[in-house]
Order: sequence, then C-alpha cells, then structure tokens
Amino acid sequence: MKVIREAIAGTLESSDLLVKVAPSDKGVRDIVIRSEVIKQFGKQIKRVVAETLDNLSVSEGAVEIDDKGALDCVIRARVQAAVLRASDTQELNWEKLK
Amino acid sequence: MENSTFEFRTVYPSDSSPEMEEVRNLLSDNQLELETRVEVFVVCEAEGRIIACAGLDHNTIKCVAVADEWRGVSLSLQLGTEVIKLAAQRGQFHLFLYSRPHNLPFFRGWGFYPLVQVPQLVVLMDNSPTALRQYCAKLRSQHQQGKTIGGVVLNANPFTRGHQYLVEKAAGECEWLHVFVVKEEASLFSYADRFALVQEGVAPIGNLTLHPGSDYIISRATFPGYFLKEQATIDHGWAGIDLLLFREYIAPALGITHRFVGAEPFDPVTNQYNRDMKTWLEQSSSPAPPIAVVEVPRVTASGAPISATEVRRLLAQGDYSRIEQLVPATTMQFLETKYPLGMSISK
Repeated sequence: MKVIREAIAGTLESSDLLVKVAPSDKGVRDIVIRSEVIKQFGKQIKRVVAETLDNLSVSEGAVEIDDKGALDCVIRARVQAAVLRASDTQELNWEKLK
Repeated sequence: MENSTFEFRTVYPSDSSPEMEEVRNLLSDNQLELETRVEVFVVCEAEGRIIACAGLDHNTIKCVAVADEWRGVSLSLQLGTEVIKLAAQRGQFHLFLYSRPHNLPFFRGWGFYPLVQVPQLVVLMDNSPTALRQYCAKLRSQHQQGKTIGGVVLNANPFTRGHQYLVEKAAGECEWLHVFVVKEEASLFSYADRFALVQEGVAPIGNLTLHPGSDYIISRATFPGYFLKEQATIDHGWAGIDLLLFREYIAPALGITHRFVGAEPFDPVTNQYNRDMKTWLEQSSSPAPPIAVVEVPRVTASGAPISATEVRRLLAQGDYSRIEQLVPATTMQFLETKYPLGMSISK
C-alpha cells in the first residue's frame, strides 16, 4: 500500500493513541514513537506498529505515534485507519487486517 | 461534572455570533486576547455554555483556554484531539502552537514539544519530533567552512536593486553567505516567482548558497506579525520567537556568525524588527552563541531609497520607466511579461 497523502487517526486520550502518517521523501519507512509507557512497552509497541505496516505492505512513509498506553488491538486499528486514509486503495484485503 | 457530556463545535470569528462573544469572554478570563489571525475556533459546550476553546490560524494553534471550574476533568485532551482533527480536515498536519511558558507541560500531552521560548512571555511548540531536526540536518549538509559566515533572509516581493546590493555587500564581507527566501504565500508575488528572481539576481555571486524558505524562518507560524504589516503592529516579545529559532537552530547548523539586514527608512514594523534582531541575536542570553547583526544602508535611486513596496506601488500605477531604475534587468523582464502595460493590479 502506498502512502500518498498525510492522514491521522486516533485521539490523545488515555488508553488511545494518535497516529500520523505522511509520504516519505527519502523512500524509507520511518517510525517515531512517543509513549507514556515507552520504558515498559516501547519495544512491544514498535513491534506491533511494524507488523501492522508489514501486513499492509507499507514500505515507505513517515509514521509518528503519540501513545497514551493503548492496548495492542487499539494500536493495530489506529495504524490501519491512518494508513488507509493516507493511501488511495479501493480494494481491501480484509484477511490482512487482523 | 465527570458525567457531563461535552459537545464540540466549530465557530468562525468572522461570524459575529453570540458564541464568539462567549469565546472572547472566556479568553479574557484567561488573560488572553482574541487574535485577529484565528480563522476558526473549536469550542466545547457543556451545560449550555462554552467552557473551552482552541483557535486555529492556518497551521498554528493559539488562544487555547479552559474555564477554571472545568479543569482536571481530562477535557483538554479531547479539545486537543478536536483541534488537531480540524487542522487535518483543513489540510494541516505539521502544526505549531503558542502557549504561555507555564502551560508547556499541559501541551506536551497534546504531542507538542517546545522549540523556543521568550521567558515569561511565550513559547512556540510544534508537533513533529523530527521536522526541525531533519531540516537542520539538511542545512548542515550545506555547511561551509569559514570564520565569517553570513546569513540573509529576503522576502523579495519582488527582488530589487536594493536586495541585490545587500546580498553583494554581505557576500563581500563574508567567506560564505547563506540566503533564504521567505516561503510564505502572503505576498503579491508567489514564492516560486520570488525565488526565481532572487536566483537570477544573485547568480553572479560565487560564495553563496540560496536556500528555500521553511516553516521555521519568517513564516506565518514563527512570525505572524510580519505578514500583517499593513494593518497591525508587532508585539516585540513575539519577534523574539523567530529570531531565537534562527539563533538556536538555523545559524548553528550552517555556522552563521553574521546576519545582514537592510536598514529600514520607511516601514516601522521592519525597522522595529531590525532593532529586535540586535536584542535577540546579539544580546539576550541563550544557549547558542551570539550572532552579529550588520545593518546595511539602503541603496538609493535618484535620491530615494529603493524598496520593494515602492516597486509594487509603481507597478499598480503602471509606471515602468521608474520601476526600471529600482530593479535589476532580470526582475524588469519578469514584471513586463507578467504584468503587461495596462493590466490593473492591486498592490
């Protein structure tokens, strides 16, 4: 899936996260995560985000995340929503959106 | 109060609605003024009245207030989400935010981080942890060695012999000169046209790098007052924001030691800005080393100082023979093609 425009998903509230996705001018995938629980769960959050992007075949783009202690399923849903808004995909492979 | 439902709506300052009156009162209760540049407000209503607001000017959030008795109920994070979403709908993702320094921790929760601060007065934040760092890294790749490295920022609306003189003079006094063109589209001439004219005008100078403008250098976000010249005066303290960004981030990335600026005989706003430049770049305390400010006298044409304002005025009158004395051949050619004689424009 190709990121062609900027998009956001999520909120700033507790147990949620705000995801920003933008096209990358460097042809790489950059993930920046800020979290209130970065010390305890930083690695886990990064893994969930990377997996979600992999499943959507996003190989290029700048992804910024403000996390307020969201559960993994919430992280996946917000990242998916932001990427879908940032791309112009018409057909969805629902099996990959787990 | 926890059980109250908050309702968020948008209110436009241009409508003189009763809601705007409430917003104005809420701001003044919080020692804030309604900024003329705010295009739209997100307001929060509960129990039939407006209890919080956040204003948006293009890509900049300001005039944020929450009524005293509604603090501590996590309303602010909802307000933040709403204003960020509103900005996104309007195509703005990289956002800036002005706050009083004591509220800084509160806006960290919105995902904003401080860029520069005028102590006790105001702090400018933005919501990208990487944008300024990446911009400075890009600048660093154009770093030139030398003991005296100059910097000039031009709006060049349009590029005149005055700008040409300033750049030549500055380049002559430095080992290398970095020239920035203001990016904001708030002038008669488009950024692309202004940039092209500067590029052609400074082409003969060898020891110079021409940089595109950015959100971090005299932009609507860093220096709202600059683009209001005709209507309003600048609050001095606020000019410090733009200048401190230059001193603490841009100048160190390029090793800039001197900032050159044209003396301003006419425009009180620019004149004040030149004075502020000395305060913020040379004198005020800062983690970054001071930058010497060099004021270059205006070059004159038939006795009168040359200014872009004058060129625009003459253009509106279609007085091309007088314009010719004020601009280099490259700009003249552009003006004649873009505004053929007889075409009316407003300055």
